[in-house]
Amino acid sequence: MTTTTTTTTNDLNVAVIVKLEPDFSEGNVSYNADGTLNRAETKSILGPHSAIASSAAFYAKVKYGARVAVGTMGPPIAESALQQAQLLCDADELHLYSDRIFAGADTLATAEVLRAGVSKVEGGKVNIVFSGHRASDGETGQTGPQTAWKLGYTFLGNVVDYNVDLESRLVRAKRLISLQGFYDIIEEVEAPLPVFISIDPSYKAFFNTVSQRLAFEKYQKEAKLRAENYKQFLKVLNTQQLGIDPKLVGLPGSPTIVYKVERIPKAKASRKAEVIDGANGEQIARVVSNMYEALGGMVIK
Amino acid sequence: MKASSKYQHLYVVVEHEDGMPVPVSLEMLGEARRLMDGFNKKYSSDEKVVAVVLGHNVRKLCEELIFYGADAVICVDSPELQHRRNLIDTKVISQIARSRELVAKFSNASEFIKPRYMFFAADSIGRHMSSTVLAELESGLASDINKLVIEDLEIKHEHKTKGQSMKYEKTLEMYRPDFSGFLWTTILCLDNRNPANEREYHPQACSIIPGVFAPSERDTSRRGTVVEYIPEFDEKDLRVRVLDRKIVKSAVDFDSHKAVVSFGKGVKDSPEQNIKLIAELAKEIEAEVGVSLPISKKPFSVSESTNSTYMIPDRVIGTSGRKIAPLLYIAVGISGAMQHIAGMKESGFIVAINPDENSPIKDECDVFIKGRMEDVIPLLLEELRKQRPTIEVKK
Amino acid sequence: MEHYDVAIIGGGSAGLAALKRLSDLNKQAILIEAGKKVGSKNISGGILYSKKPKHGKTYNVEDIYPGFLQDAPIERKITQYMLHATSNDKIFTMDLTAAHEYQANFGYSVLLNRLNRWFAKQAGESAERQGGGIVSGVHVRSLSWQDEKKVIIETDELEPFEAKAVIAADGVNSEVAEMTGARAKFTPEQLYQGVKVIVKLPEEIIEQRFGIGPDEGAAHLFAGDVTLNHIGGGFLYTNLDTLSVGAVYHYDSLMERPSEPYTLINTLLQNPLVTEFIKDQVAIKEEIDKNLPKEEQLRTRFAVSKLIKTWNELRDIYYSRDGRKKLVESGKYKSEEEIRARLDYVQNELATKYDTKFVTDYIELEYGAKLVPDGKRCAMKKPYYKNILFIGDAAGRGVFIGPRIEGLNVGIDDAVRAADAVARSIDRNDFSTHYMGEFYSQSIEDSPYTRDMKEIDKDYLKIFLDAARDVPKDIIGQRYGVVFKLMSSGTLRGLAVGFANILGYDRLLPLVESEDTYVQVPIELAEKMGRHVRATYEPTIPTIALRIAQLKYDDDRISHIKVLHPNSEFMKKIVTLCPTLCYSMERGGEVTLQHEACIECGTCAKETEWHHPRGEKGVIYQYG
Repeated sequence: MTTTTTTTTNDLNVAVIVKLEPDFSEGNVSYNADGTLNRAETKSILGPHSAIASSAAFYAKVKYGARVAVGTMGPPIAESALQQAQLLCDADELHLYSDRIFAGADTLATAEVLRAGVSKVEGGKVNIVFSGHRASDGETGQTGPQTAWKLGYTFLGNVVDYNVDLESRLVRAKRLISLQGFYDIIEEVEAPLPVFISIDPSYKAFFNTVSQRLAFEKYQKEAKLRAENYKQFLKVLNTQQLGIDPKLVGLPGSPTIVYKVERIPKAKASRKAEVIDGANGEQIARVVSNMYEALGGMVIK
Repeated sequence: MKASSKYQHLYVVVEHEDGMPVPVSLEMLGEARRLMDGFNKKYSSDEKVVAVVLGHNVRKLCEELIFYGADAVICVDSPELQHRRNLIDTKVISQIARSRELVAKFSNASEFIKPRYMFFAADSIGRHMSSTVLAELESGLASDINKLVIEDLEIKHEHKTKGQSMKYEKTLEMYRPDFSGFLWTTILCLDNRNPANEREYHPQACSIIPGVFAPSERDTSRRGTVVEYIPEFDEKDLRVRVLDRKIVKSAVDFDSHKAVVSFGKGVKDSPEQNIKLIAELAKEIEAEVGVSLPISKKPFSVSESTNSTYMIPDRVIGTSGRKIAPLLYIAVGISGAMQHIAGMKESGFIVAINPDENSPIKDECDVFIKGRMEDVIPLLLEELRKQRPTIEVKK
Repeated sequence: MEHYDVAIIGGGSAGLAALKRLSDLNKQAILIEAGKKVGSKNISGGILYSKKPKHGKTYNVEDIYPGFLQDAPIERKITQYMLHATSNDKIFTMDLTAAHEYQANFGYSVLLNRLNRWFAKQAGESAERQGGGIVSGVHVRSLSWQDEKKVIIETDELEPFEAKAVIAADGVNSEVAEMTGARAKFTPEQLYQGVKVIVKLPEEIIEQRFGIGPDEGAAHLFAGDVTLNHIGGGFLYTNLDTLSVGAVYHYDSLMERPSEPYTLINTLLQNPLVTEFIKDQVAIKEEIDKNLPKEEQLRTRFAVSKLIKTWNELRDIYYSRDGRKKLVESGKYKSEEEIRARLDYVQNELATKYDTKFVTDYIELEYGAKLVPDGKRCAMKKPYYKNILFIGDAAGRGVFIGPRIEGLNVGIDDAVRAADAVARSIDRNDFSTHYMGEFYSQSIEDSPYTRDMKEIDKDYLKIFLDAARDVPKDIIGQRYGVVFKLMSSGTLRGLAVGFANILGYDRLLPLVESEDTYVQVPIELAEKMGRHVRATYEPTIPTIALRIAQLKYDDDRISHIKVLHPNSEFMKKIVTLCPTLCYSMERGGEVTLQHEACIECGTCAKETEWHHPRGEKGVIYQYG
């Protein structure tokens, strides 16, 4: 679906990169007897971090009237992730980057595909790309920053809040920095567009004027209608259409491989537990007195 | 010197705050030291552990790092590097990684192209920094690693070796626990030896989970070189401005509580009720409430209030969250995945409540109460109230 | 600051009607609602009437929402209206259907959660076309004026914004009235406290039990010993597949001898006639044998739960005409007999395999309460303040004509009048009290509802007299002898009523609205002339704790109400009168508040700093 656009200096174009992931919620997730994920029996949904990234993009649409595109690299079923994302952010354009040679890609090879995909977004150059903090299955958190680097966009990670100054083409964002052994820090930064924002899991879009709330409702309604006909907004792109070098994607383009997967061996028992019956009042009484002992009448602060 | 001296040394990117190294930095150095001592012995070589420090007024810190195992420390001291900014940091670290000049200052550098290995911290900063640096250096990265081994491996891979069996020497095996906590995935960063697509991939890099490895003992007799590096800044690279930094007080405070009660997937039969019970138990013994990693992914349908209070990353106990050591630790409905155990095994007295006697947590606790939490906790509460010490311990 | 022409505060049926009307008049208006979604904080008795006044005109719901009768999620059209006088197990019934139909086009039983959401959809869409709309999850915190023309509205959630006119539709505990000082808080003498429960009962069972057809409904009222000597009465309305059962009493009568609201409703539920009305077949899960192995116990528990769920769902469908049709059309079942067969099979499985018991009992779905303003005593004479117009309950305009309570329709009529006044002002850009407030006030004066609040209608009186014709004169005669004789004669009645109206309604009220009328007379009637009604089972009435546990809340963690006088007599009584036991008395005699279970009825509003919680927070009704 093409749109005629005249890019004025106050336009904002954003893109979201998302992933289809197993549904880990109770009742939907299925585990094998050995505790491993049963992918075949587990439903796939738009990953939770991708969903948050989508709602961050929706904020840009409601507040700044931004144009939103969503892209994902995956097999044909990944379309449903795009549909769910469109429901959340009223996307104007959906991209599925799909090609058999993309299989086996690690984060660097995936980033190459996504970089090419973002450059194919219509309606002008993308000013902000959003991604989730990490995928709930792979959990590397690498793909976002690597895509940002390949795009040459300034990377801002762990963003919990952001606003755009359309005139001066700047983003002001708050980032949550957690370093072990230190207190958490909220850092406020400013960077010129274009930027790549990796959204922190604690991000919550908040709209604080009447007009934004009304716009929110309007776009939500539009999103519902669009998502019902999401195929109209969908473009499927392969290697050729993306204009990428096959050597840099999929298995060929991946520096890393998964060598093996094994059960983590049960660590040697470091304590000898006394097993007691939870219904035995006497034994419970004894445990409780041990607990109080541990809490220490001796420790007086 | 061996044939391939294009890729040498192990570079450790050090993080610091307020002039102190972040604990994981010392842990990384400790592991780097152990690995390279083994490496040098096995291969009769003399490759170095090289710490990389970016910051402002960090000279003293750099010198300290030698006592913790660094052979060389590349010290980049500039006011522009006071706060971490991904763009400029990535450029500088990449420049350093490619610099033969720097290597010459502490080692034979005639053929140096890039480091052999690279370590980063798997935290807010390191995760992203490692990603962009490796994108710039065009090599492989594995994240959230908790075990490392250097091996010569026979590899047969459909693409990397075109199905042939080939020997890859000095390969870094990078182990990471998967989301379930029960499996180890081993990642390798390997050159492409497939004639259709020959490519070398170095450094082999990883980001390391805090709290997993032990730092080396501080040894003031160690010697090493501190090398100064003056970076070249491009105006464009400085375009991110840090406007403000504020310390955030978390709602969750493990450190000031003597007891911690944690819960895991065992609450699933009636999550809202069970969590209420657990909260009551915690209240009774003035404990903070923790959760296992899967809980932070909000797997249950509970009230908004319960979700936002308990199912949050701030409460996670384990390698992906907090490592704690309270006087009393009660694990309710937690099976005992390795990464959770790592987060609490130093606790004083550990009690587990679980209906399944075969849970791994049985090996990590002092008392294993066999039973369902909805039955056991009310009994515990009754008993706790009965036995409440009559002399209140003053806080 | 953002500007809007009109801001309507409160998304109940009145506020929504104002929004719809304004939008239809091509005016831009926004509506601010504190609940997360419209409808989540609304509750009514409830019957929605469409009025056909003898004199004058009212704006009825179907005038404002074309398509209302066809599309709105209304429950049943009330075709039967019965008043029961009760004394223990004796009931004397009077057919008051004529009183219900008097001056009414129709009266439909309604559940506000779904109905208001439908209103919101219609009104919202109209409003959006004019550049306005509905903003929910926002709580108004203050109103101020910088210049006389514009109101500055501050909320807990949004940046302040301005409006040229405000329509206050925020209910009987109107915070707008309170923060502007437009009127005093209502006192107990001016209010009724209503409490109700929604009871589940399958569609066709309702029809069989109450003797009504698929498009018909019954309303039953109760007076006598069920009121525990309070002034007011009980009610039971049939919805499509639920019943609204409740009680409404003078708040000052409750003040005199405080009874817990849940006790009042329990008394009603235990009246044998009501007990028989609400009964249904209920599946009881048996305790699972603890000696079985763990996995077996778990599996059994899940199996039983699932089966009972299936049984309930299938049963509800089976007893619904539409439900059966849809199920057969979907192809899942070939015929309605097959559905019955499956239902019997599931029931049999549960009974034989899992020892599930099927007993006679009743099922409650939701408990709720609200205050209702008695227009006769507290309708605002000039329902405006500066450029704010007050409508519906916020203006104290509840109409009580004998047993008939009209609030929803009054609110809608007020809303239209207010919307018209505002639209007129927008056209002239004049929002002064002289041009807008007074105009609206005059329009309200002309409303037939206002007339109902001021005068006795002699024709309505006649209907009562006719209905009571079987009542022995000695019961009535003792008390009202002369008056009664007067009223029975047509001519004299007209004169008498006219005279009474000159005297003033309020002089007569104490005579009419007395314990005699609501309690003693009905008891005597029941004793002397009632029939015995026997309950065939004992209903299991949920405790108040269970009722509260069933309600949905989004707790704000901070209290939205502040106790100002912890030691006052009033607050001591509130400990009893709060429908959800939020108040308790400490050892020292102070009354303290735990706000988490609050359903925002306002019973405690008079002596507290009373607010609704912040946007989205607080109680979330499912039925209303």
